[in-house]
Amino acid sequence: MGNPALSFVAIELLTGLATAAVLFLVSCGLSLIFGVTRIVNFAHGSFYMLGAYIAYSLVSRAGGPVGFWGGLLLASAAVGLIGVAMEVFVLRRLYGGPELFPLLATFGVVLVVEDAVLAIWGPQDLLGPRAPGLKGAIEVFGHRFPSYELFLIALGVGVAGGLWLLVHRTRWGTLVRAATQDWEMVGALGVRQATLFTGVFFVGAFLAGLGGAVQLPLEAADHQMDLSIIIEAFVVVVVGGMGSIAGAFLASVIIGELQTFGILVFPKLTLVLIFVVMAVVLVIRPQGLLGRPQPEAGMNRAVEVGTGAGFQVPAVLLYTLCALVLAVPLVSGNYGRVVLTEVATLSLFAASLYFMMGPGGLVSFGHAAYFGLGAYGVALLVAKLGWGMAAALAAAGVLAGVGALVFGWFCVRLSGVYFAMLTLAFAQMVWAAAVQWDALTGGDNGVLGVWPAPWAGNKLVFCYLALGLCGGCVALLRRVLRAPFGYTLRAGRDSALRCDAIGIDVRRHQWLAFSLAGLFAGISGGLYALSKGGVFPTVMSVSRSIDAIVMVLLGGLETMAGSPVGAAVFTGLREQIGSLTDYWRAVVGAIIIALVIAFPRGIVGFIGARAARLAQGGR
Amino acid sequence: MLSVRGLNTFYGQAHILSDLELEVARGEVVVLLGRNGAGKSTTLKSVIGLVRPVCGEIRFHGRSIRGLPPYAVSRLGIGYVPEERRIFTELTVMENLEVGRRPARPGAPGWTVDRIFALFPNLGEMRWRGAAMMSGGEQQMLAVARTLMGNPALLLLDEPSEGLAPLIVSRMAQMVRELKSEGLTVVLAEQNLRFAALVGDRAYVIEKGRIRHSGTMTQLAADEPSWAAYLAV
Ligand SMILES: Nc1ncnc2c1ncn2[C@@H]1O[C@H](COP(=O)(O)OP(=O)(O)OP(=O)(O)O)[C@@H](O)[C@H]1O
Ligand SMILES: [Mg+2]
Repeated sequence: MGNPALSFVAIELLTGLATAAVLFLVSCGLSLIFGVTRIVNFAHGSFYMLGAYIAYSLVSRAGGPVGFWGGLLLASAAVGLIGVAMEVFVLRRLYGGPELFPLLATFGVVLVVEDAVLAIWGPQDLLGPRAPGLKGAIEVFGHRFPSYELFLIALGVGVAGGLWLLVHRTRWGTLVRAATQDWEMVGALGVRQATLFTGVFFVGAFLAGLGGAVQLPLEAADHQMDLSIIIEAFVVVVVGGMGSIAGAFLASVIIGELQTFGILVFPKLTLVLIFVVMAVVLVIRPQGLLGRPQPEAGMNRAVEVGTGAGFQVPAVLLYTLCALVLAVPLVSGNYGRVVLTEVATLSLFAASLYFMMGPGGLVSFGHAAYFGLGAYGVALLVAKLGWGMAAALAAAGVLAGVGALVFGWFCVRLSGVYFAMLTLAFAQMVWAAAVQWDALTGGDNGVLGVWPAPWAGNKLVFCYLALGLCGGCVALLRRVLRAPFGYTLRAGRDSALRCDAIGIDVRRHQWLAFSLAGLFAGISGGLYALSKGGVFPTVMSVSRSIDAIVMVLLGGLETMAGSPVGAAVFTGLREQIGSLTDYWRAVVGAIIIALVIAFPRGIVGFIGARAARLAQGGR
Repeated sequence: MLSVRGLNTFYGQAHILSDLELEVARGEVVVLLGRNGAGKSTTLKSVIGLVRPVCGEIRFHGRSIRGLPPYAVSRLGIGYVPEERRIFTELTVMENLEVGRRPARPGAPGWTVDRIFALFPNLGEMRWRGAAMMSGGEQQMLAVARTLMGNPALLLLDEPSEGLAPLIVSRMAQMVRELKSEGLTVVLAEQNLRFAALVGDRAYVIEKGRIRHSGTMTQLAADEPSWAAYLAV
């Protein structure tokens, strides 16, 4: 090829394909697992990370080509077995329950694995040795191209072919495809699903581990690699179509190339770009490029647990509890006031998510976006434009509400997992903007100097301010749920079809609920920024969205009173455990896993059920 | 062979089956007759384990199978053909049969792909075709064939005649008789009385989840006025 511009493009294409190859190794397993088990496996990024770290240990110990290639394979096999362990010891107990629970359990595994990696391999980045025999570069179109990346491309294509044969030419693959369509019928024909699911987890985890292991000579293993790859893999799976391996292949190539060329064309927009693609695909073709439309049901079932009970917290109890909480800042020191302020803001954040998730049946994976919009809104108005505190808080609520109004319009067109993924995509866009738009947001350095008005500068006063404002907002949300709007929302969740038939516009109600939830999340985010004195992009990271879901589930989905309880327990636990051990994430992860297995109705739901049983004079 | 006693099944709060009793002896074709919503499908699903009865007893060869998961019930030798057929439309005919294939079982007719195609010649002609491209009657045959590949001793057939043309229905009846002559025991849910009369040895009339009447096909025919109301729409 004589033309230098063309050959440059060709080289970049190859680089993009190498990226795509690793992305495919991770996402095809994620897609396979989702297709067969209907589990959105957050731990897939952890498998990838474990693959890299285990491979590092094996490869740096044993030298030579055998040591290197053997080490990579052995590491992948080890990760495969870890995947099997997760399926057998955790997920198997959750099949047949609400669809959200296995997903949360896998997020618990993410936290546990993060701390396990920290404990075993330490905090530093680890770069593996170069691949023996593939250290050099070869001439392609007049440019030198690393031969290891060519190997990655070949590996990606080889795995795709091998997987195709496995799925289309073996009995196991036939069962997998049948189970993807109707696993219950496969069971009625005498196939033990648990064994099939275990096998699928082995294959998926093995491939993710392989993806991490082969990445080692290119990029150092670090502690963020799990979340960064899982988000990319989600994008690939959603764009390609959940459960479709060919779709994962196609989408990996698209996303890989987009990243490579994106850096060249829009260096400031790389992070946003892939989420824009995902959002566009979800809106135009929700089932993905090569996916098949999924039957309804899905994540709305998350809410099934206990909503029939219609359990109410007695008013006396509620007021006593409020009075007790209000007395705490008087007697506690400043530390207690700071913690209580955080509990108050997170209570409102959790309650706003409950508002759409419980009665609305809308499980959002991106609620942190609105928290973050509020936090950044207040921070910028106060620190950069010198606005007063009250005006800034109000404006932050409006900003987050408008954000939710815009994103919500798209999101409520989808349901279940697809809804969750679209909310995640929008949240990641907002997060990426905060990271990359440093002229406005300060990038990773964040915005500092965000302090409350002088009269509220005292910790005691600010604590009461937070309690009052959050308490008022939660009460307001609760009031809305008792109004006809709340009942319509519940009816839409329980039977969207029937509501449509009697002329209720379910979607419009959901849209409104989404926007209101965003508005109140924005207020809580604004208060949070004021209480901390600044904001960083982490205020709207994925883990904050998941924290919110965990708080809501801790409290239970039966009553809004549960969410503040969940927020209090969650914050309290984190503070307590954080003061005892550096590994608080692992403990929180273990708690999440225990929670979904043992207390699927949440704390308040559990107590409520006990109380109801006692009242009936039963056991 | 199969004996059901005091079976009660709920969907949520709705009480669907009340104290249901059934006896099925080896080699019989027993028909569950009832109109739409009577509880026929629920009875079969309770036996195979797709729904969990709240109480009662289900015994197969004297062994209690209530509460077992469907795969375990199926492995004991009970084959289930659902009313909705639930064909794997993403798979070919051969692959559908492969999903159903289980090892041979002593005391039950053994099936191979060749024997299946001898019983259903038109399936043999379209063995590589995607199941999505088949007519309703062909899909029904495939659903039966797929379950037979598991070499069951007892076959639970849910309304195989539903939505099929009269000619295909009589082919289905012939098939059931052939299966019987192979030594298979069959429980058939039906609301089509003509079809039931063609194949059944005995029948139970079920209404609102209760058995209202039972007897041999000839007894029932003689006694029609006393139970016909339960079938009328
Ligand atoms: N999944 C379900 N959830 C709630 N109720 C159900 C469910 N499936 C069936 N029912 C109800 O249970 C009752 C019995 O249903 P079943 O399917 O057993 O009837 P059937 O005799 O097979 O009727 P058909 O001839 O229409 O197939 C009906 O009233 C039906 O509405
Ligand atoms: Mg039926």
